[in-house]
Amino acid sequence: MVRFKNRWILVEFIPCTAPSPGRTPAAQAASGGIGGSDVETSSKQIWAALKQSVITHFGDTGWGAVGASLTVKYYSPRTNVCIIRVARDPYRIAWAGVTMLSTIDGQRYIPNVVHVSGTIKQAQLAAIQHNREVIARYRALAKTPAGYQDSYEEFLQTSAQEIEALQD
Amino acid sequence: MFIDLNVPAPTPSSQLGQSQSKKGKGKQPAAPATVTFAPGQISSLENRIDLLVHLGYTVLALNQTIQTKLEPKNHVNILDPLLAQLRERSGLVLLKRLTIVLDEGSEKGFGLTTQNTPLVASYDILSLLPTTQNSLSLACLTHTLPSPLTTHIIALPLAAPRLPFRLKHTLIRTALKNGAVFELSYGGALGADADPSSGMGEGGAGAKRNWWANAREVVRVTKGKGVLVSGGIVNDADLRGARDVANLMTVLGLSPDAAHHAATKIPQSLILRAQTRRTYRAVLSEPKVVFPHAQTTQPGASAPAPQPAQAVDPPVQAVAVTDPIPVTDMPEQSTEMTAKNVNGKRQRDESTAPSKNAGHTADVDKDGAGRKRKKTKTKDGGP
Repeated sequence: MVRFKNRWILVEFIPCTAPSPGRTPAAQAASGGIGGSDVETSSKQIWAALKQSVITHFGDTGWGAVGASLTVKYYSPRTNVCIIRVARDPYRIAWAGVTMLSTIDGQRYIPNVVHVSGTIKQAQLAAIQHNREVIARYRALAKTPAGYQDSYEEFLQTSAQEIEALQD
Repeated sequence: MFIDLNVPAPTPSSQLGQSQSKKGKGKQPAAPATVTFAPGQISSLENRIDLLVHLGYTVLALNQTIQTKLEPKNHVNILDPLLAQLRERSGLVLLKRLTIVLDEGSEKGFGLTTQNTPLVASYDILSLLPTTQNSLSLACLTHTLPSPLTTHIIALPLAAPRLPFRLKHTLIRTALKNGAVFELSYGGALGADADPSSGMGEGGAGAKRNWWANAREVVRVTKGKGVLVSGGIVNDADLRGARDVANLMTVLGLSPDAAHHAATKIPQSLILRAQTRRTYRAVLSEPKVVFPHAQTTQPGASAPAPQPAQAVDPPVQAVAVTDPIPVTDMPEQSTEMTAKNVNGKRQRDESTAPSKNAGHTADVDKDGAGRKRKKTKTKDGGP
């Protein structure tokens, strides 16, 4: 069967300020917010930045291999988590393009690819798992007792619903 | 388990003042007794380590870089006091590494001699950064031989336009055979500002292009075998996760599993190999000399009886017993192998002076037996 195969890349963009030391997620939790850049990044801007990165590093041929199938499927500005879909053959080019990205709209980020999978289901599960780990890290830092209900719980549920709602 | 072996250590503020005041030889001011770091440097280093842990690295090596020559008079190990000031982190291993940048001035000798051994003994890993053809051949041929001064990592200035030397297959192959690895710092791939003391030149788009060209060349010559990736990042914004870096290596022409090994298995075995600097010529087990008695007919027969009790002792004794008498039973050999495994593993943790002497006698012993024993690496000690 000739099926069109994809790769789903789960990326976390860690915002930081250069050249002074980057604010780690720990520091951000302490300051009481997740994300907090003035610029509103959206999936369109990520796509544009990614396109620019692939063209700079792999040329027009690289973009030609990747461009038709590259889509940003999900982006959450609160956690800076992004799911990108690419065709399976040139996915390493797209992955390298993501790694070589350093700024989106003038704001510096560290792109951290958390998970790569061949199906959307695995990508969704990985995204939910990643959110839970991040929240667990914040909670460990804040040292809240186990049964404590905080706003993170509601965030986890809404984000899980958004992720589950993703369609191919 | 991802390993980054090149986290540049900040230069302490007191040392910077020192280097400006003294010039060349002559009356040397005493090296500062205490090395002080500005609190800003400590906090930025803490931040960087936090980020690295977030990106998935579990083993880091702080790197101190020295130009041209290792001078015993004013060399200070800045990493020991630095490590003492860092926060306690569980699940993170920090190692100490020394890099010597070799240029024309160091061709006559740069201080990595046996008399300087105590100076470098406090570092876990040694490495060299040759910038000329002569220093490259020096580094590959002489300094990778097993000794207390082996430099296990050879870093190359990849951001320089047009590598100043040709990478000859023979040189590289000898270095790889002796156990050295060639290091690629992925900071150059992103066009990051390079570590100013590492001699790699400025960052920017030009350096990026050179990095890709030169790194591809290194991968071609080493055929992907002894390649190590590491950071060398000065700005936090240029840090990347280990799997991202492995993917970049794939673009360079490295096969995907070699790219993954470059961040996991190769640095892991390198760290173990670096510990052999404490042993005599990289022999890891502790042999003991046993003189066979003239009266007993079969010393091998008496060995199985005390074997359980001796399982705790250096069991290479059993091996030495079998040396003069080549006839051994199979079960005896298997017990001695397992006992050797148990102790071989323990020997790795202990140091040093006893094994040096024992190594000497082992040489004598094995020469007498006429059998050649190669470098016992950790293969039989491993799990």
